[in-house]
Amino acid sequence: MSVEHHHIAGAAVDVPSDATLGAPGRRRRGRAFRAVGDNTLVIACQIAVLVVLLASWEFATTNSALNAFLFGSPSAIWGFLFEMWRDGSLITDTRITAYETLLGFVVGNVLGTLIGLALWYSRFVSRVVQPFIVALGSIPIIALAPLCIIWFGTGLISKVAMATLSVVVVALITAYKGAMTVDVDQINLMRTLGASKRHIFRKLIVPASLGDIFAGLKLTVGFALIGAIIGEFMSSSEGLGHAIFKAGSLYIIPKVFAALVVTIALALCLTYVVGKIEKMLTPWRQQ
Amino acid sequence: MLPAPQSPTNRPVASSLHPPLVVNDLKKVFGEETDTVSEVIANISISLGHGEIVSVVGPSGCGKSTLLNLLCGLMPRTAGEVLWYGGVSTGMPKRVGYMLQKDLLLPWRTALKNVTLGLEIHNISRGDRMERARKLLDTIGLNGFHDYYPSTLSGGMRQRVALARTLANEPEVLLLDEPFAALDFQTKLLLENDMARLVRSQRRSLLLITHDIEEAVSLSDRVIVLTHRPARIRAIHEIDIDVDRTDMMAARESPNFNQYIRSIWSELEVQRQT
Repeated sequence: MSVEHHHIAGAAVDVPSDATLGAPGRRRRGRAFRAVGDNTLVIACQIAVLVVLLASWEFATTNSALNAFLFGSPSAIWGFLFEMWRDGSLITDTRITAYETLLGFVVGNVLGTLIGLALWYSRFVSRVVQPFIVALGSIPIIALAPLCIIWFGTGLISKVAMATLSVVVVALITAYKGAMTVDVDQINLMRTLGASKRHIFRKLIVPASLGDIFAGLKLTVGFALIGAIIGEFMSSSEGLGHAIFKAGSLYIIPKVFAALVVTIALALCLTYVVGKIEKMLTPWRQQ
Repeated sequence: MLPAPQSPTNRPVASSLHPPLVVNDLKKVFGEETDTVSEVIANISISLGHGEIVSVVGPSGCGKSTLLNLLCGLMPRTAGEVLWYGGVSTGMPKRVGYMLQKDLLLPWRTALKNVTLGLEIHNISRGDRMERARKLLDTIGLNGFHDYYPSTLSGGMRQRVALARTLANEPEVLLLDEPFAALDFQTKLLLENDMARLVRSQRRSLLLITHDIEEAVSLSDRVIVLTHRPARIRAIHEIDIDVDRTDMMAARESPNFNQYIRSIWSELEVQRQT
């Protein structure tokens, strides 16, 4: 790509500047190094670290009954994973938690982003509400769990509310920050083109904030999951949080770990999907 | 290089008999509410006629960019008046294009879509604005690059796109603030030639803010030299170079060129020592 671009640049009326002459060579070398050396090596090292950790864990727990009881063991965790898969609880629990997380994630981000961007419209209003937002953001989310249960019951809604609450303030602040850090010259340019405030908002502020908004999305996937799990901890009859809590109360440590593994896998999946959506919606950022 | 045809068909309709821009006793003071008052522009009067190219040069930090922002109404003025076509204006006047050293292209739009930005704002239909933008990009030497994102274009190309965006609204007056300052010499010269051709062939008016004396002299009909802060007008030179005014190299080779450079330079130098 860089080579091709270089050729075209050379053929154009534009005399290629130092930048266009210098960059492709440097970039090519960098990419080659990363592709052959870096990537494979990194993945190999990651697998090695994982294998060593699991092996020493397994080894430490095979010779000691107490250790096996307190810390579980990779083989026991695997056994529980298999059992959860067979009795169907793996799928139902994961589905319920994923559902709560996604609903909270979407509602929280939509609400937070809309409010955050809208605050760009009025410096006065944003100054008025600023301390309230900071106050809301400083509340530890776990403190809201009992209230959510009381207000929204023990079903789905209370977990979605918890997930939403863990997301909404972060989403609001990142969107607001994105909107407020748009280059003043850029705004002036829009004005000189005859843009109204609405034009500036739609054609400049919103797309320019997308970078920050997506950074917020990646961050808040995890927050939404934490919110949903806390909600399930408090009171629930299903979900991964429920599985972790129940297994923990019964001292079935490997099962706690098994549910944790599934939770981590869920978090990774959701983050991956958000990353994919970001790539789709911001094609100009792919080099 | 094209000569500067001044046929009436190419000429945008002059909307009034008044010159496009008259500035009377413009003054700008910053920080009036606080104790740290600083006067940036002391007293400046300028006029820009139809089809004229006027450059404003001055020592760096003398408030050239502030001057431009005042003219565009992007900043309130302290005193004086700015008359666009004889009328007192508030805010950005219509039929005026504005371009800065930073290209300010929107990274999420392709070259073509960056050029159509102003046309979208003015509710030009999709077909029309695409056609206009394509033509403009082609005349400015960017055929084949319409669908490139700014991040994949060189500095010179990006500034060409910015110029095309400015011209897309068919402004009668162009206000440019050091538009070529970040470019290398060859690219700058090519762009200046294109600019001169586009402005002169359409009888547009151009006010150029620059610190590049050669650029000012080779491009302009008149060069206004400003003093240090607070900026005043130190000298006005009518540039009388008897060559094709769309050829920047020819201008540089003409016998008077160096005299202009020297006298403007000395006016700036003297200021530096005081």
